[in-house]
Amino acid sequence: MVNLNKLREEANKIVNRDDIKYIIGWEKGTYGFQVTPFFATTSDDIDKLIFSPLCIHNLTVFPMLEEKLPMRKGAEEDTRKIGLVVKGCDSRAIIQIIQEKGLNRDDLVIIGIPCTGVIDPKKINEKFPNQTKPVNVEEYEKYFIIKINGKTHKILKEELLMNKCKQCEFPNPLVYDVLIGPEIKNKGKNIYKNIESFKKKSLKEKWEYWEKQFDKCIRCYACRNVCPMCYCEECMVDQLNPQWVRRSVNVSENTAWNIMRAFHLAGRCIDCGECERVCPAGIPLVKLNKKLEKEVIEMFDYTPGLDVEEKPLLAMFKPEDPEEFIL
Amino acid sequence: MSKDSFKPNIVAFLCNWCSYAGADLAGTSRIEYPPNVKVIRVMCSGRVNPMFVVNALQEGADGVLIGGCHPGDCHYIQGNYFAKRRTAVLKKLLEHIGIDERRVRMTWVSAAEGKKFADVIKEITEDIKKIGPMQQIRRKNNW
Repeated sequence: MVNLNKLREEANKIVNRDDIKYIIGWEKGTYGFQVTPFFATTSDDIDKLIFSPLCIHNLTVFPMLEEKLPMRKGAEEDTRKIGLVVKGCDSRAIIQIIQEKGLNRDDLVIIGIPCTGVIDPKKINEKFPNQTKPVNVEEYEKYFIIKINGKTHKILKEELLMNKCKQCEFPNPLVYDVLIGPEIKNKGKNIYKNIESFKKKSLKEKWEYWEKQFDKCIRCYACRNVCPMCYCEECMVDQLNPQWVRRSVNVSENTAWNIMRAFHLAGRCIDCGECERVCPAGIPLVKLNKKLEKEVIEMFDYTPGLDVEEKPLLAMFKPEDPEEFIL
Repeated sequence: MSKDSFKPNIVAFLCNWCSYAGADLAGTSRIEYPPNVKVIRVMCSGRVNPMFVVNALQEGADGVLIGGCHPGDCHYIQGNYFAKRRTAVLKKLLEHIGIDERRVRMTWVSAAEGKKFADVIKEITEDIKKIGPMQQIRRKNNW
C-alpha cells in the first residue's frame, strides 16, 4: 500500500519548483473502476493525485505524445522538466526511450512507486458490472478491499491481478529521483507457458487462430497511440509514398499491420500490456509481443529496458549471432 | 492447382556488391537455375526492411530470399550483420503467426560464387514447391 500523503508531499515539493512544467499522475475517475491520467500544474492540483491498484495506465506515453508546435519569432522554447509518476514496468519504458535517445533523462523528474500489482479492468468489470459511481479499491495484505454501495467485498488478489503483474520481475522502479515507500522484496518470475504451448500447434492451427483475431481488427491504431515505444514522427502505416499498408480493413492488411507493429517492438517492448488493454476488438496483442520477447532472450540474450547505456537490440550485433537459418 | 503445375514465385533481394554480382556470374558462366526467381537489387542486405518482405508476400511472392555478402565482407562493414538479426526475428514472428518460416530465407553469396547462387535458388524453389502457394496474407483487390 502506497502512502498517499507521502506521494502528495513529494509531488508538492516538485511541482513548486520553477523548472517543472507539470507532473503527470492519476486522479479519481468519473465512474466505475476507471482512473484517469492527470496533469498537475500547481500545488492546488496535488490533492487530486492518487495511487491505487486501479492505476493501470503507463504514463510514459504522455511526454512522447506531447506535440511540439513550431515556435513564433523570438519565442523561447519551454525547456521546463516534466514530472512523472511511474510504476516498476513504466520505469523500464523510460529507460528504453532514453536508451533510444527519444527523451533526455535531465528533462524528467521521476517519482517512483514500488507497485504490488494492478487490477485487470476486464476481470473486475466482469465481477462487478455496471458501476456508475466511482469505486474505491484498497489493498490489504493478500486481498483487495472493494466498497460498493456501503457493502465491503474482500477478494483475493490473485483473482483480479493483471497477468503481467503475477509474474512481474521488476516491481520496483529502475530509475527514479524520489521513491515513495519501501522497496518490494518478493518478485515474480517471467514464464512463457502460453507461448510454449502455442508453439506446439501446427502452422495451420496457428494461422486459423490469428486469422480470426486479425479479422476483428478495425485498425483504429489505439495500440500504437497508447504504446510508449511507438513514437515515430511518421508511422509506416501513415506513409503514402510508398504506401506499405493499404487503408482498407481486411485480413491481409490487418496482418501486415500487426506483423510490423510487433516487429517494431522486438527487443523494445517492456510488456506493460497497454496495447491489449485498449484494444477495442480484444486482440491478444501481448501474445505477439511476449513471443518476440522470449525469442530475443533466447537468441540474443537481450532484455530491453534495463540499462540506459546499452544499445538497442537491432542497432547492434554480435558476430556470434545465430545463423543456422542461413543457406 | 495441382502440386506439379505450381510454379513458385520467388523474390530475391540481392545486395549490389556480392550476391547480385554472384547472380551475374551464374549467368555469364551459363549455370542453369530455376526461372522462378525475380531479382531486386538493393545496395546492401541491411537495406531490406522487413516491410519489403511482408509486402512481397502480400503482393504475390511465395518466397523471399535475402542475399548479402559473407560476414566481414560487407561493403558497408556491418550491414549484413544487422540484416541477419532482423531476419532471425522476422522468421520467428512469421512462424508464430502461422506462415511457414521457410518462405523467408537468407543467404551469403559472394561475387565469385555463381555456382552457390544457382544451388541456393534450386534449393529454395524445391522447398517452396513442397510448401505450396502462399495463401494467408495475399492481398485481394476486389474492386
